[in-house]
Amino acid sequence: MGNSVQMRNAECGMRNKTPGSQIRNPKSEIRNPEHRVTVTGLGIISSIGIGKEDFWKHCLQGTSGIKPVRGFDVSTYRSELGGQLPEIDFRTFIKPANLRRMDRIGKMMVSAVRLALDDSALDFKREDPNRMGLSFGTGLGSSDTVDQFFRSLLRDGPVGAAPLLFQTAVPNAIASHCSIEYGIKGLNITFSHKETSTEMAMAYAYHLLKEGRMDIVLAGGGDELSEPLYHVYSMLGALSPGRGKGSEGMRPFDRNRNGVVLGEGSGILVLETLEHAEKRGAKIYAELAGVGMAGSTEGLLRYDLDGDSIAQAMSLAAEEPSKVDTISAAANSTRDLDRAETLAIKKVFRERAKEISVSSLKSMLGEFDGSGGIRACGIALSLHHEMIPPTIGTEQLDPECDLNVVLHQFQKKPIRSALLNGCSNGGSNISILFKRYESSY
Amino acid sequence: MGGSIRVSDSTCYEGDVHRNQMKKRVVITGLGIVSAVGNNVSEFWNSLVEGKDGTKQITVFDPSPYRIKIGAEVSGLHPEDHFTKKEIRRLSRCDQFGVVAFREAWSAAHLNRDPVDKNRGGVILGAGSGGILSVERYFRDFYQGLKKPSPSLLISYSLATTTDHIALEAGLKGPRSTTATVCSSSSASLGVAYEMIQMGLADVMVSGGSDSLCEVSFSGFSSLKLVDSESCKPFDKRRQGLIIGEGAGLMILEELEHAKNRNAPILAEFLGYGICADAYHLTSPEPNGEGVERVIRMALAHAGVSPEQVDTINAHGTATPFNDVAETRGIKRVFGERAKEIPISGIKSMVGHCLGSAGGIEAVATILTLQKGIIPPTIHYEVPDPLCDLNYTPNQSIRKDVRVAISNSFAFGGNNACLVFGKFSPNAECGVRNAE
Repeated sequence: MGNSVQMRNAECGMRNKTPGSQIRNPKSEIRNPEHRVTVTGLGIISSIGIGKEDFWKHCLQGTSGIKPVRGFDVSTYRSELGGQLPEIDFRTFIKPANLRRMDRIGKMMVSAVRLALDDSALDFKREDPNRMGLSFGTGLGSSDTVDQFFRSLLRDGPVGAAPLLFQTAVPNAIASHCSIEYGIKGLNITFSHKETSTEMAMAYAYHLLKEGRMDIVLAGGGDELSEPLYHVYSMLGALSPGRGKGSEGMRPFDRNRNGVVLGEGSGILVLETLEHAEKRGAKIYAELAGVGMAGSTEGLLRYDLDGDSIAQAMSLAAEEPSKVDTISAAANSTRDLDRAETLAIKKVFRERAKEISVSSLKSMLGEFDGSGGIRACGIALSLHHEMIPPTIGTEQLDPECDLNVVLHQFQKKPIRSALLNGCSNGGSNISILFKRYESSY
Repeated sequence: MGGSIRVSDSTCYEGDVHRNQMKKRVVITGLGIVSAVGNNVSEFWNSLVEGKDGTKQITVFDPSPYRIKIGAEVSGLHPEDHFTKKEIRRLSRCDQFGVVAFREAWSAAHLNRDPVDKNRGGVILGAGSGGILSVERYFRDFYQGLKKPSPSLLISYSLATTTDHIALEAGLKGPRSTTATVCSSSSASLGVAYEMIQMGLADVMVSGGSDSLCEVSFSGFSSLKLVDSESCKPFDKRRQGLIIGEGAGLMILEELEHAKNRNAPILAEFLGYGICADAYHLTSPEPNGEGVERVIRMALAHAGVSPEQVDTINAHGTATPFNDVAETRGIKRVFGERAKEIPISGIKSMVGHCLGSAGGIEAVATILTLQKGIIPPTIHYEVPDPLCDLNYTPNQSIRKDVRVAISNSFAFGGNNACLVFGKFSPNAECGVRNAE
């Protein structure tokens, strides 16, 4: 490794002699080592709890957020369950004047940001808004708004096109609401890549913070469960009960699993350089210490099958696999993903695979594209409290998923580091390593 | 203007200098295009240089209920020339554009010829409306109850679909994601793809964007009264708004050593970029150009380039009344007196506003500008606007040796992005070629 660094420096030196490099500004030689990235605030709007205390209590209790769907008619589908949010009075979190402009997903996300900022105890008066950013992920964003817009267009023709709906229909409107609400002027980006949307948002934020290009990035995201989305998933045959035995339900790694139950929610992390966090005396939940990404090529709607790509993503994220004590699994109660993730964990950790406590929060929340934000908050809380929430609903492990799955009861154990896995159909796989925060190495 | 000083202080920090020395060099080795003015790079470039307008009557959906019936629609691209029947059923129009442009870029970069490590190649695209055209077709039939629509139209429900199609076709197993900031999506995606190389996760990245016309975005922009009834006239006093376009602009980003080792054609260097927020309004840009200024400064600082070195600007130039003034003001705030000397191109006057692929298509044009030493014009420019008083390269392309070029993209809700490209080799021929 030493060699390659030297080589790179040598190349830099050579480059400076070529005329082409004059384009670059060859100023001083300031040393600026990489920054460490910490998690200093959590904001959670979930079906099992609003805010980190409520959420964590129910995680440990193994509360299911999955119930019969409310709000729209599901009688024509084979499925009837969903992990929907409870009724929330968003006025608790958002200025009423701004609330009017937001659709439901916008409200969900701005509220999560509010909770995360409160939790981080950031004092906006002391922060440079240009050094604060937003990196969000959402799979289908304002699917309900798009649907309302389109229906009104179909019904009334061009006069039915409602400008107020259209401006919130774009996926980046959610981050824009937050940027406007809080005057955040740094990074502003939104990713939308199926089930790895939020993982990518966190990975990108991590990289910019590590390079010191921002001090603070609010990273995460979420999705809403809307009628059109339920319809699409159902028509594509993705919902439980699909193929396989057993009744409708979410049971990752279970031999009787038969597809996903849709959920919703939003989770935001305040990511901050260690330097900045220490300077303001912030409470630090955990450190974000690595990301890995790899793609599989099994098909447009297929997950990785042999686990190679998921394993590759995990290996890239975890420099020291021997220090990984728990994994927040992407396993979502589909046969392909549950098995591929199992294979991947075995490929990376070999004989240690059985020592690693694996749990899937999706068992309580259901599956949704932007679940990574909430699941990452879960990991930060796991590291902070040294407790791992259980995988609920799973009764009988699939013999091909013979991992150390935390079932029924939460587990208490020291955690040095933890992996968050995100795997999307089509084949994007992202792993993020969180580790216990220690003030010096 | 104390505000502007603080802006530059906080966006150009000392870390940039160090990083510029440490970061890997990223070059462009292939381009691919589908657009209203050409379905390959050479046709596209000739049209831009000639100032050809791609605006025409819309046919992808029935525009008859609308007052305005025009758009910069892609024509002359026959799916059956590129795809099997089964593929045509499964690929949305947006996917088709993306895959066609990808194939051009991939083969132009000689990646068909050279073996590459598939684990070190990835795809990051920007999306706008994505496959909504297909989804609209589904839900139109579904809600009207006239016939049972095919669920295969729903495969394109996710904005990630085009990205996945390309990764599957190329068998790429590196990083993969999709940015979704609509009008600045594909500029943002290029920035993210660049970071994948910096992070050591890939040597080769396919990036840019693809988007197709659809009724939702057409009617949405119409409802906001942001669409012009005859043509897109950026920076002209008579401008009334954009013309919605479609297409794909893709490129291959490659780590320099990797490109050199396989003797790849190096078209330009990707020097850096910036992405930031306006924090102002859901649809209007910050009127004084403060957000525009910050993003350009951020990009230049990241690239290690000073404002004096910028030779041309590919503007966002949507021809909406507000955007063009804000952009002009932002450019002046960065470049001061020199702003009037820098030739600016508003190619949306020709290709329309392609939303999710606008940044990609404009980045391709910017790279061609560097390569060829020709700055494409802003067409339909007749009546100067006192509020837009810069050199917009009116109606005629000009020749100029360009060493550094920037491309701006801004989106609804203040999602600003700016890309900085530089000429790669000083030893190559100076690049000025005959426009004919």
